[in-house]
Amino acid sequence: MSDQSIKSIIVVGGGTAGWMSASILSRFLDLQTCSVTLVESEEIGIVGVGEATVPLMQHFNGVLGIDENEFVAATNGSFKLGIEFRDWGKMGNVHFHGFGDYGDTIEGVSPHHHWLKLRQMGDMTPIDDYSFPYAVGRRGRFGQPSPDPKAEAAFFRYAFHFDASLYARYLRGYSETRGVTRVEGRVVETALDGENGNIKSITLADGRVLEADFFIDCSGFYGLLIEQALKTGYEEWTHWLPCNRAVVVPTTRDGPPTPFTVSSAQEAGWQWRIPLQHREGNGYVYSSAFIEDDPARDTLLANVKGEPLADTRVLKFVTGRRKKFWNKNCVAIGLAGGFMEPLESTSIQLIQTAIARLIEMFPDKNFDPVMVDEYNRVTANEFERIRDFLILHYSPSQRDEPLWNYCRNMDIPDSLAHKIDVWKSCGRVAFQTDESYQEPSWVAVFMGNGILPNRYDPLVDLIEPERLKLGLERRRQKMAAAAEAMPSHEAYIARFCKMKDAA
Amino acid sequence: MTEAPQHNIRSIVIAGGGSAGWMAAAALSTVLAAQRCSITLVESEEIGIVGVGEATIPPIQLFNRILGIDDNEFVRATQATFKLGIEFVNWTKQGHRYIHPFGRYGDDFGIAPFHQHWLRARALGDATPFDAYSLTTAAARLGKFQRPDGNPNSVFSTFSYAYHFDAALYAKYLRGLAEQRGVIRREGKIARVNLDGESGHIQSLTLDDGGKIAGELFIDCTGFRGLLIGDALGVGYQDWSQWLPCDRAMAVPSVKVPETTPYTRATAWGAGWQWRIPLQHRTGNGMVYSSAYMDDDEARRLLLGNLDSDPLDDPRQLRFTTGRREKFWHKNCVALGLASGFLEPLESTSIHLIQSGITKLLSWFPGNDFDPAVEAEYNRQGVNEFERIRDFLVLHYNATERDDTPFWNYCRTMDIPDSLSEKVEMFRRNGRLIARDLDIFQDSSWLAVLLGQGINPLDYDPLTDNIQPSELDKVLTGMRGVIARTAQNMPTQSAFIDAHCRAPAVSFGKEIDEVL
Repeated sequence: MSDQSIKSIIVVGGGTAGWMSASILSRFLDLQTCSVTLVESEEIGIVGVGEATVPLMQHFNGVLGIDENEFVAATNGSFKLGIEFRDWGKMGNVHFHGFGDYGDTIEGVSPHHHWLKLRQMGDMTPIDDYSFPYAVGRRGRFGQPSPDPKAEAAFFRYAFHFDASLYARYLRGYSETRGVTRVEGRVVETALDGENGNIKSITLADGRVLEADFFIDCSGFYGLLIEQALKTGYEEWTHWLPCNRAVVVPTTRDGPPTPFTVSSAQEAGWQWRIPLQHREGNGYVYSSAFIEDDPARDTLLANVKGEPLADTRVLKFVTGRRKKFWNKNCVAIGLAGGFMEPLESTSIQLIQTAIARLIEMFPDKNFDPVMVDEYNRVTANEFERIRDFLILHYSPSQRDEPLWNYCRNMDIPDSLAHKIDVWKSCGRVAFQTDESYQEPSWVAVFMGNGILPNRYDPLVDLIEPERLKLGLERRRQKMAAAAEAMPSHEAYIARFCKMKDAA
Repeated sequence: MTEAPQHNIRSIVIAGGGSAGWMAAAALSTVLAAQRCSITLVESEEIGIVGVGEATIPPIQLFNRILGIDDNEFVRATQATFKLGIEFVNWTKQGHRYIHPFGRYGDDFGIAPFHQHWLRARALGDATPFDAYSLTTAAARLGKFQRPDGNPNSVFSTFSYAYHFDAALYAKYLRGLAEQRGVIRREGKIARVNLDGESGHIQSLTLDDGGKIAGELFIDCTGFRGLLIGDALGVGYQDWSQWLPCDRAMAVPSVKVPETTPYTRATAWGAGWQWRIPLQHRTGNGMVYSSAYMDDDEARRLLLGNLDSDPLDDPRQLRFTTGRREKFWHKNCVALGLASGFLEPLESTSIHLIQSGITKLLSWFPGNDFDPAVEAEYNRQGVNEFERIRDFLVLHYNATERDDTPFWNYCRTMDIPDSLSEKVEMFRRNGRLIARDLDIFQDSSWLAVLLGQGINPLDYDPLTDNIQPSELDKVLTGMRGVIARTAQNMPTQSAFIDAHCRAPAVSFGKEIDEVL
């Protein structure tokens, strides 16, 4: 082992980002030779945005060796097959972004091309009818994907809804068992090395001084280390993603939990509904330029179905990203690194990929600038691709309200404009570096917002139209039958992963 | 919401036979079988084919599968042999040799990639070369071959293979296939390319016999000259000679050798390098050189003086400029093969670039409205792909200790593209590999050449320290043992070919003259 090895790490902040980082470090580092300390204060609440996730989450828990059912039970969680979008694009429009494709490819061509051909032949079956996750979700059912790669039920993945503070608590237990030290305290001062500008130590409110070789800033929007101490700078994206506030309220559930998130577009933003076992999470994400806090709260409360379980809370944010995610001997993970609003539940995903990248490029005390630059380059790409994906939910809207009129007329990034042009031209997705979303996700959002390509893949014509029609009809029937065979979401949870205190 | 009717291409004209032309014809006729789309290929027997690229890389197998070609039949028809990689001799320094294998090194374990564990073992004093963890390299050195196994748990899944084949026979084979599938071959030389005055699209080709061939989509496979894309449409060429200075090749076949090596050999000389590609019926040889540093006579003398069997013909000279077309797709014309660019044959990428151009064309197949957005995306991907290969090739020349000739002094000290210097710099510091989009060469290839060319990382991934040295040693010893034993037990390439795909004997030289 070289002298340059990192011997001590401090994680500042104990929300989702902090405890996810700590648990992965405790899983992969030898804590005998490199200590990991997490500093958090019970005075500071956690934001806990992102109670919904994307399928990558399964992988994260898998890496930690956490049993899925135990995890769902411990976090009062439920299963998520995708997101149902209501009133996006135009009032009355309903579409689904499912975690899965629209069935397997046919003769090597993605199914949406075949769907387009049938549509041109006059068959108006919505593309969502070919989404297996939606077939399951709209029936309120849930089950595991089939291990038979030929079965229709093999073509989907799933994620989770969960209580973020319970998850943080769960991971805290995991990390502490493995030797992570938790320190209660509020950071009041950060000392930098006069020579190289690295962070030397942090001082807590009670006067304790903690030193480390490497710091992970999970302090949230404020960016205690990355911004307040290191002055890294923030690239603001409000002109593309204008929402900057969320008013949130937990309520009782008024029915069985849906196995998907619901996102309903509103006059000046959109409202989420995330079902958990013990309650429902609700929030209205809006732009303060287009609606005041009070009417936003009224809208939220008017639209929730259950009884409020607490007072509403307003969160403020600025969409964008830190100019550098890794600066000197400090990496910002979670909201400290940037925030792009919760529309596609990407916050926890970005925490996860940041941690994975950090493990891949784990530094020594030299903090080689070449490697740090590469970390920042890839992370910036990832943010920008997700940014484009989110903008695509807003910019095509035909809704005639000031926020939506703004979005329809704003200049969009060139990278997205190119993607839209190519899609319109031929129904293909022009993938760029470090994309998080695969073809079916882009297809869902393009189609869902009414952007249809001018033509389908000419290779579709290799198949006789009547055979194609029959084949796709059969596929729909098989999907329906496979979905019907699954248990209800509620029954699945009751059987495998019911929360502890509700026995 | 758009409900435009579908405007499919109804006629395709391919200008030029050769590898590119017939590969395109065979693939398009297979895939567009039901489209009622006519495909015409124009070629002239007077114009010879360049037939560079008698060696290939593994994705060629995928191309053959799409065409429904049987592997053994293909090997017989093209006098092919199998290729497990390339041996580079005298590149890093005189007397040095290494193999770039088509397969991976070791198995990843712990949380770091395999090579990081190897780097750590080296830092702990273990001098075992990286090669000892490549079954592909071990088999190649022993002259062994068998086909890989798809089972990911099998050691036979750690390698892949490509072919050495006779490019003229390959074109002939594909011609048979394409004609069977409805492609019309038209004999003739292109005299004029007729453009639409308004759109600037190509309307038709006028042949020297006065015949006129109209089409909707034109594929330019006319070689370096780029008769359609360059001469007619005025698409320029980006010259990369400052990074890849070789501009000539001298090629000569020689008498076949009894035991063919399952790899290509590339031997560096004072101002270029020599290839050796063993086929079943002959050995292909050639000298690639820079005319600024070596004259033709010297190249001929070196080439003929360094064959391992008698030459079958006089050396034939080719001239080229390394680089790429500014756009590969312009209006209604797509350039494939040498018309789209040339990156010298060092890593056998010419045929791959043709194949990849065809695959891209099929996945971005246009309607007859030729939407510029699709053209832009095709070109963006093509440029990336060319640049990644360029970087990989430049690495071979630039990362060298050779200081014995002005040519190597130039190569060693030249400015290299940023995309490459970043990659090399990162590797040199800590052994990590920056992955870039559309790079056909995977980490194992980069590792082979980076380490082979003497770039030794100063440090390794600190997370490998989690594994105890004794445990590390045990894992590494186990892997080496499996690889060495497995390679020993594989059949020789000759035995494998005898058992599965021996081609009919062909005779050359005097005997043919006598027959004629």
